[in-house]
Amino acid sequence: MPREGALGRSGVPPGAANPIDRRQVLAGLAGAGALGFLARPTLAGSREIRFGLTPVFLSSDLELLTQLKTYLSGALERPVTLVTRRTYQEITALLLSGQLDAAWICGYPFIQYRDRLSLVAVPVWRGRPLYQSYLIVDRDRPVADIRDLRGDIHAFSDPDSNSGHLVTQAALAALRETPEIFFGKTFFTYSHRNVVRAVASGLAASGSVDGYVWEVMSELEPDLTARTRVVRKSEWLGFPPVACAKAAEHTAIAADIRRALVAMGEDPAGRKVLDLLRLDGFIPGDAGLFDGIAHNYDLVRSLG
Amino acid sequence: MKAVLHKLRAMPVTFKVPLMVVVLMVTVSAIFSNQVLTRLSATQERHLEELTGAYLDGLSASIVPHVLREDIWEVFDQLDRTRQAYVGLSAVHAIVAGPDGTVLAASEPHLFPSQTTVPEGLTARFSARADLVLDEDKGRAFIRRALSYQDLPIGWIYGEVDIRDLLAERSEVLAALVLTNIVLTLILAGAGYLVVRHMIRPLDTLAEHLDRARGGRMEPIPESRIGRRQSEFGRLFRRYNALVQAVNQREELAARLADEERMASLGKLASGMAHEINNPLGGMFNAIDTLEHHGDVPTVRRSSLDLLKRGLLGIRDVVRAALVTYKSGASKQPLQPSELDDLRFLVRPEVVRRQLTLMWSSDLPGALALPAGPVRQSVLNLLLNACAASPLGGRVDFTAGITDETLTIRVSDQGPGMPAEVAALLEGDGRAAPPGEGTGLGAWMVSRLVHELGGKVRVTARAEGGTAVEIAIPVNEEGPIRHVA
Repeated sequence: MPREGALGRSGVPPGAANPIDRRQVLAGLAGAGALGFLARPTLAGSREIRFGLTPVFLSSDLELLTQLKTYLSGALERPVTLVTRRTYQEITALLLSGQLDAAWICGYPFIQYRDRLSLVAVPVWRGRPLYQSYLIVDRDRPVADIRDLRGDIHAFSDPDSNSGHLVTQAALAALRETPEIFFGKTFFTYSHRNVVRAVASGLAASGSVDGYVWEVMSELEPDLTARTRVVRKSEWLGFPPVACAKAAEHTAIAADIRRALVAMGEDPAGRKVLDLLRLDGFIPGDAGLFDGIAHNYDLVRSLG
Repeated sequence: MKAVLHKLRAMPVTFKVPLMVVVLMVTVSAIFSNQVLTRLSATQERHLEELTGAYLDGLSASIVPHVLREDIWEVFDQLDRTRQAYVGLSAVHAIVAGPDGTVLAASEPHLFPSQTTVPEGLTARFSARADLVLDEDKGRAFIRRALSYQDLPIGWIYGEVDIRDLLAERSEVLAALVLTNIVLTLILAGAGYLVVRHMIRPLDTLAEHLDRARGGRMEPIPESRIGRRQSEFGRLFRRYNALVQAVNQREELAARLADEERMASLGKLASGMAHEINNPLGGMFNAIDTLEHHGDVPTVRRSSLDLLKRGLLGIRDVVRAALVTYKSGASKQPLQPSELDDLRFLVRPEVVRRQLTLMWSSDLPGALALPAGPVRQSVLNLLLNACAASPLGGRVDFTAGITDETLTIRVSDQGPGMPAEVAALLEGDGRAAPPGEGTGLGAWMVSRLVHELGGKVRVTARAEGGTAVEIAIPVNEEGPIRHVA
């Protein structure tokens, strides 16, 4: 398990005792009041917040990271370190081991570790905290069904991605198939955008991609997505959530983070982040949103 | 070929030199261009080798781990990114294949899909030793690099690089070279033409003077045209001028000698004439005395007047002959037969003095298209010479006639024979230097005059003793009369 994230880049070790900043507490109270949450006095002080990000949305866009950091550190009134890793697994591991206060993860690891993780907030996209997984192929490829993709070189985004792996796994499981046998060859690109690139370039004949990412890309990089075509859209599933370790579920930090995320749309910096992400906002959400993913997970496990 | 060579040789030097310059320049520029292009190609290839080497080094370093794991995506991602990363190297395709030639990933998956075999057409381009192959027709270079990990072969990188820029650069250089060389060649050929024309201009001057000298008097090249030339031409001109001077001096000397000789014979003639005039004078004075004393006697008067008349007629003949000979402007008149006959009167004093017999036979039909002066002068000289050579009481024969459009005049004497050197002078072409003091001057002058008329002189020793001199001058209406000064 990677340990390099154990110490924050700001050099302040986790748990370092800092004097209570009254103004911060007052501000926090005010903010909490405004959001209708019960203001709970916190002694967390100005300890640095470590927030993990998986490449679940767009690839690490520096502008996005800067804006998000600006917003979060402003809203939380303390330094925030954004932690990114190449794979979902690394972020999940950091989160489970308590090295991150919260992380934006995929619904799949959230279900995988549902007994050890708690929901902090769920993004809202096009009015709902839901998204789809897309199966994409080359624009000119005349296929209509997942069954036509047998023998393909198939691009997945991440082994722990719901939309970029689990959904297709489950769809094949429904056909009593596994990707390893059904497809001629599979590989992971560790980014949804790269799945689109792989399919657009012809490297992969088909790919499993986050529908939200594909839709946003078709707006931002229409040349790339125009070379692909969506063959299948999955049922609506819970949008990749922000989660924290179960143990931290009731801490002030988790609550602060939730408040900050939910209030994002009311702040200019937060608005900017949401605009970049093409999201409407965040809601506290409910674990039940991920029942569809849990179902797929079980389906795949039953076959495996 | 021979004809061409002949034509080349016949060409003026002003064209030959520029032509040689052109040939030389074309040869030199062909060699030079070839060298430059060969160098350029070598440099370009080395450069390309370095570039592709760097590209392949960078690529293989970054993809080896992915190749080991057969990570299609990462290999593709590297290929895709490095393709744009190498400035100056426009990679068209890059293919990463396993050791068995199966494509792992290519920068253009459409053309080289993963898990297919690398096309034979590509792998066949490489030999065991050549990992960089140029295809200039296609404007492509093909590169290959073996991938290994811990000394074990794990695959290959194949690449196709666009080298049209290099080829374009090469053809641009060639075009520039050709253009530059054409311009240079034209400039040099033009310069060669001008320089050579300038250089040989003195030859034209010399040729012009030589041409003029052929028609008459030789003229030196004016100092203004020689200038301060210290070149070969300057020396040539000065030598030519020295020659002209020498020739002209000789000509002047000859002319002066001829004049002197004429004056000498004139002096001789004058004394002869005086004698000739004096001879009848005594008788004429006697006749006048007789007329004074016995003029009333008719018979006496008639015989005295007759005597006077004959005396005066004799004097008239002598004076007339002298007048014809020396009257200026008369020398170019056509020769009248009487003008030859008049010569008898001029030599008569000498004939009388030496008690000779002059046998005169002239058979000319009428005026001849020959200048009277030189002919008379020549014949007079020969006659005087014959008289001088003849012993007292001897006989001198003169014959003149026309045969085959040639005036032939023969003067023979009974002298002891003509000295060989004088005969040689007579028979010479008249261009020999005039002899020094003493004998032969007359002979030289005759020879000269006869040759100027286009004639010949022949000297024969007569069997009965004495010498015969014969001059033969062609008589032609268009003849050399006009050339005679």
